Amino acid sequence: MGWQGIFDSSGILFTGFVNTLTLSIATIVLGTALGLVVGTLRAARVPALRVPLRIYLEVFRGSPLLVQMLFIYFGAAYLGLRGVETFIAALVALTLYEGALISEIFRAGIEAVPRGQREAARSIGLSRLQIERYVILPQTVTIVLPPLVGQYIGLVKDTALATAIGYFELVREGQAIIDRIGMPIEVFIVIGAIYFVICYPMSLVARRLEKRALHA
Amino acid sequence: MLAPWATTFSYAPAFLNALWLTTVMSVLAFLFAFILGLLGALARRSRFRVLRFIGATYVEGIRNTPVLLQLFMIYFALPEAGIRFDAFQAGVVALAVNAGAYLTEIIRAGLQAVPRGQLEAARSIGLAPADVFRSVVFPQALRSVYPPVINQFIQVILGSSLVSQIALPELTNTAQTINSQTLLTMHIFTVVLVLYLLLSNVTALVADLVGRRAFKPPLYPSGPRPRSALLSRVGRLVRGR
Repeated sequence: MGWQGIFDSSGILFTGFVNTLTLSIATIVLGTALGLVVGTLRAARVPALRVPLRIYLEVFRGSPLLVQMLFIYFGAAYLGLRGVETFIAALVALTLYEGALISEIFRAGIEAVPRGQREAARSIGLSRLQIERYVILPQTVTIVLPPLVGQYIGLVKDTALATAIGYFELVREGQAIIDRIGMPIEVFIVIGAIYFVICYPMSLVARRLEKRALHA
Repeated sequence: MLAPWATTFSYAPAFLNALWLTTVMSVLAFLFAFILGLLGALARRSRFRVLRFIGATYVEGIRNTPVLLQLFMIYFALPEAGIRFDAFQAGVVALAVNAGAYLTEIIRAGLQAVPRGQLEAARSIGLAPADVFRSVVFPQALRSVYPPVINQFIQVILGSSLVSQIALPELTNTAQTINSQTLLTMHIFTVVLVLYLLLSNVTALVADLVGRRAFKPPLYPSGPRPRSALLSRVGRLVRGR
């Protein structure tokens, strides 16, 4: 008895691991894309978009992700969108939430590149596209990367909330195992260890990138 | 058209009770978290390797696993080891332990930012080590950590919604209950969303006003904080400026 029960449940754990990873990677891709678009538009100060983007940001940053997720999941059913899977609801909520946080990282990154850089690039005759591609973007990436990786760590942990709407990621699979074999302490320690194995290397990467950005 | 709203607002007492529970839980958790953060920061800066190790393990262990898992660990698993909390206590403990790890790093950075010369000067005028910390280092550190600490408080408020998952009738849980009774999803969750937005923005606004008053020279000298630009305009109106 003891750890043998958890070892026998490794298939369930693996499913949870794969589901957590799938949701995380999908959110990283979509959330980063959304954050890049919103952040760039906010840095460019497009007049017509100022207020709507500001509202988007304040709403999604100032309220709990869990409420957003429940709102989207139950709201889809309320609006008659039948069969919206838990995965889609979780992905939409996470993308909107993380997109809002990531957009601020990009905006700060873009605004941190000194104005003189753009002017200097123009004065040596680079085209607009060349300026963005060869002058602004490389500098933005150096500034943006450390907090971005930091945000991804939070994102991976945030996918645990999908448990609340019934998506079978790690925490929910853990509960399923506990329902069968008990041993909640051991099971949750294993689940925690899996998250740690995903997140800790990421925080080491973030730290290294931060050091490099400081020396650049 | 208006009937759903009327139904929703007939639950006003339940919403208000839930709002109160969320507020009390968040404030309590934050107070404990701050104490934990202070102890954690001191442990991480300690001369003793054991304390540094404990501090680092605490911070890395908590920051690299989800809060929800920590909450489930405390509520569902610890009773197995003979440690029993009710839902409210478990919520407060989980939120405090989680935020405490982040506050450890914030406060540690704040302590580190106090110039060494300040320490040496304080010691040279004959202050005892405890007094050096209490009247020289800590006040200066508090000033630089104030904005991120307040931000962490707001994260505790928003994070308290997770306690709904262990059936404590705070805001989010109440919303789910009323939703299952009335099926007025849009109305109910809009109300709850607005209540959370109010809670986080009012907290930011009050913290902003306190920060301007409590520190000399005042914090945020150059204009309002970006987070609450709209609300600080309200604040200026309130203060009649």
